[in-house]
Amino acid sequence: MENPMNWKSLIVLVAVIIIAGCGSKGNFIVLSPANDGSVGALKVGTDKGSEVLSEEGKAIYIGNRNTPPSAPAPISKEDTQLIFEDALAVQPLMPESFLLYFQFNSNELTDASKNLVGNIPASIKKRESRDISVIGHTDRTGSDEYNRKLSLERAQLVYDLLRAENVSTKDMTIIYHGEGNPLIPTADNIAEPRNRRVEVMVR
Amino acid sequence: MKKIAFTWFLAVLLFCSLPLPTFAEQRVVGKVKGIRGLVSILRDGKTKPAFPNDRIYQSDTILTGSDGAIGILLEDNTLISMGPISRVSLEKYTFAPATNEYAMRLNMQHGTFVYQSGLLGKLAPHAVELDTPVGRISMLKEETSFKARFAE
Repeated sequence: MENPMNWKSLIVLVAVIIIAGCGSKGNFIVLSPANDGSVGALKVGTDKGSEVLSEEGKAIYIGNRNTPPSAPAPISKEDTQLIFEDALAVQPLMPESFLLYFQFNSNELTDASKNLVGNIPASIKKRESRDISVIGHTDRTGSDEYNRKLSLERAQLVYDLLRAENVSTKDMTIIYHGEGNPLIPTADNIAEPRNRRVEVMVR
Repeated sequence: MKKIAFTWFLAVLLFCSLPLPTFAEQRVVGKVKGIRGLVSILRDGKTKPAFPNDRIYQSDTILTGSDGAIGILLEDNTLISMGPISRVSLEKYTFAPATNEYAMRLNMQHGTFVYQSGLLGKLAPHAVELDTPVGRISMLKEETSFKARFAE
């Protein structure tokens, strides 16, 4: 019986394997999973076509503008980590937000929130943050003017607490929204404890 | 006397009709968080080295050298990191939740990029446009994050 595999086919086969292996060079995109493991979805469009990427562990390769993008093809986690190693080494930490709640019509924190304040300096240090926003709010009971004043007092209180924890005043900015920008929208003059808050955003 | 007054009048009229120079508002769109090696910012035709906590403005181009890498935090908390020999232009950026205005256009010209979605990608993914040397990337879902490489 004749051997169907002749030298020509073998050379072509080897060439194809080498070229396929050269996916390590060139343009590609791969999704990054969120902390909960979910991934988003995106579309890559060249002048000759487009492809959708919505799965983890797969990459879309693109030769150039005048070729359609490849269908998503598997890419290993190790390869991904290696290729993006330098960028990952300097990737900033996501900013962290702390919500501190106040007792009704007061600038005194709830007990739970008093305890939370102590966690903030560590977050600042981790990020070497020089950009900390202290944002005061109230709920909608009381007049707009009264609430503007109260939201500022609340922000000021948290600012002073952080200053007592050695956070530099140079790095903090006080913002106050009165009864505006509620977490939970309500009608006017409705009490809503979840809006009586100061948000500390550490960037 | 009348002649002088009239001359002055004409001069004032002429001056008021001259177009005043408009200063394009230099909008801060983010800042440098992490740096390694040599990274430069190209702004208004001038190149200068980048340092941690430097502000980043709309229209800035950021370039990393052969040992360079940079991590950037934008106003909406989008994170962009780049490895060596990489280049990105921040062509358009608006993040104004109070008035519902959202827009971003980046041009990832070459190199390695790690992009982590912030509030723009959460509230207005359709407003995120990413140009690359080989085509356009658009977001189909909220909070999409990715890594990409564009080799020359």
